[in-house]
Amino acid sequence: MTLINNLPPGLLLILGALLVPFLPGKVKNWYVIALPALTFWHIGQLDMAASLSFHLADFELQTLRVDKWSKAFGYIFTLSAFAAFLYGFYEKNSTQFVSALLYIGSSLMVVFAGDLITLYIFWEVMAVTSVYLILGRKTKKSYQASFRYILVHIFGGLVLLAGIILTIHQTGSIGFDAFDSEMATMGSWLILAGVLVNAAAMPFSSWLPDAYPESTVLGGVILSAYTSKTAVYVLLRGFAGWDILIVLGCAMSVYGIIYALLENDMRRILAFSIINQVGFMVCAVGIGTSLALSGAVAHAFCHIIYKALLWMSAGAVLYRTGKSKCTDLGGLYNSMPWTLVFGCVGALAISAVPLTSGFTSKTIIIAAAADSHLFWVWLVLEIASAGVFLHAGIKFPYFVFFAKDKGMRPKEAPKSMLAAMAFLSFLCIYLGMFPERLYNILPNSELVKQVMPYTFYEIYIHHFAHVVTQVQLLAFSGLVFFLFLPMLKRTNTIALDFDWFYRRGGYFINEGISRGFNSINRVANTIIAQGMTGRLADFFADGSARFCLLFVRPVWALSGISYKDQDVLAGKFIRKFTLANFSIGCTALCTLAYLLLFVIW
Amino acid sequence: MPETDIKLGYFDQPKTKKMLWRLLWAICILSLLLEFFIQRKVHFPQEDFFGFYGLLGFIACSCSILLAKLVGFFLKKGEDYYDADK
Repeated sequence: MTLINNLPPGLLLILGALLVPFLPGKVKNWYVIALPALTFWHIGQLDMAASLSFHLADFELQTLRVDKWSKAFGYIFTLSAFAAFLYGFYEKNSTQFVSALLYIGSSLMVVFAGDLITLYIFWEVMAVTSVYLILGRKTKKSYQASFRYILVHIFGGLVLLAGIILTIHQTGSIGFDAFDSEMATMGSWLILAGVLVNAAAMPFSSWLPDAYPESTVLGGVILSAYTSKTAVYVLLRGFAGWDILIVLGCAMSVYGIIYALLENDMRRILAFSIINQVGFMVCAVGIGTSLALSGAVAHAFCHIIYKALLWMSAGAVLYRTGKSKCTDLGGLYNSMPWTLVFGCVGALAISAVPLTSGFTSKTIIIAAAADSHLFWVWLVLEIASAGVFLHAGIKFPYFVFFAKDKGMRPKEAPKSMLAAMAFLSFLCIYLGMFPERLYNILPNSELVKQVMPYTFYEIYIHHFAHVVTQVQLLAFSGLVFFLFLPMLKRTNTIALDFDWFYRRGGYFINEGISRGFNSINRVANTIIAQGMTGRLADFFADGSARFCLLFVRPVWALSGISYKDQDVLAGKFIRKFTLANFSIGCTALCTLAYLLLFVIW
Repeated sequence: MPETDIKLGYFDQPKTKKMLWRLLWAICILSLLLEFFIQRKVHFPQEDFFGFYGLLGFIACSCSILLAKLVGFFLKKGEDYYDADK
């Protein structure tokens, strides 16, 4: 009983994944839906003091640490896994399910890890298992994107590992606790950098919009939730109050908007909006007050739901039409009305429209910025909120479902997809109207409920002023979208991003090295192979003879031999020297002279 | 042309479009008018004027679009940009 009570929730999914390949037909699908539901229930049962540790060499690994932080992330990770597998009821491929379960399981292991070694191990397992969700698309583009994806994550993982080793070496402890920003060491900076790679913070941001849109339909829904939010979780626990995160978070939220506006691929628009949303959370971690941190958890919770919903509706369109570019899509409201409705709920939620979950979670972060008197941060977050409505709230549904009708009349999404989308849409609206249940599971829930309204009456009647200002902000953002519509016309283009440095940069480095080394090669060939070798050969062949001639010529000159005869003699001399056929007497005489010289000296 | 064969959907009819435009303007104006009747919570002195949020939304979004247009001028490339040399 103790073992079951203290079983790490991630282990349920990881061990459960092993059974998947042996299950027949639809049993497999039901099984993978049931597994996260069971894990969700298990997390609910976990005692706050529950802990599981074991010894490895000199260290005590803590594979289970239960508190409000880990539980909140545990709930949402399993909840979204449940919805994703319900959505993926059409899928028959076991590889997709196994890799997804291992990926989600290891992200849960990271969330419940109490030490840096366990964290690191499952951090890497996440990177490896998630690749199969991209590879599963089986296109050349997805193959190349997954290759870049794994390279970036190996880089990030190694930076993290270096940081962890330095930290353990310095402190002697493997515990995963808050790092002090006042006494930041090289180790903690490296851990921060490694985590930020997974959070898709600039300049390590481009792997996300590069890889996720190339994934499978189900893979995109799953990928959108875990890697970046696990990173947010580690930041929350380890780096609360690190000022640099405020700047980074603000930069990410603006960067996401600008790139999403430039983008043509619908799933890539959503990928950029992940970066924009994670920017809000990273910024909240940087602000570091209790309210901001709780806001980040709440926002991560709601974000996972509405972002999964958006990826689901985009995935359904891709599944039915096989297209994902805005230039190819349009007018789908006729044939996929339910996908449109659910997609719009997600779009409204991400835009923090009143009555949706974004409104009750993002508000906490913005309030925390205002409470900390950070005017510029507050302003950037408000601006970014307006921008979210622009790119994810309107642009995505408009260009996919409305805009110019391309004459496509696909079937409505399969029922299982619609069921999953309906479930998440319900959650988006429920959490927007009655966020109390969400606020209750947050860390510092008492404080949140003190500061933030949490009943329907309080939020929408008593604090009606906030509803009005939010509607004002969004209405004018929407107005701008339609006024500027001609400027937003989609083109068949991509926008260069930070990945240019390793995609084109690699090519240029290759060219540079090739040209640099080849020219050195050419010069070396001219000087050494063609020039020096011949001369050296000549030198070793007749160098000693010419040296001797320096002494012999004056003797000849003194003997009265003419210059012309001297040249003839010198020619013979050199030939004799090179052929080494001096008469024995000569050689003996030289040897004797040399010996005499030696003795006298 | 297949497009001419298809009956214009509800949202593609000029009448609907006109109505939606009116609705959008109405929401904007209504949200401004409502500000007369509410007591807005002011966090910073810089935001303490009528229609701040509307103005912020308008300026922020137009600037975002213009900025995106500007950087797009430098950063937008053809889709086969990365495959061109393969």
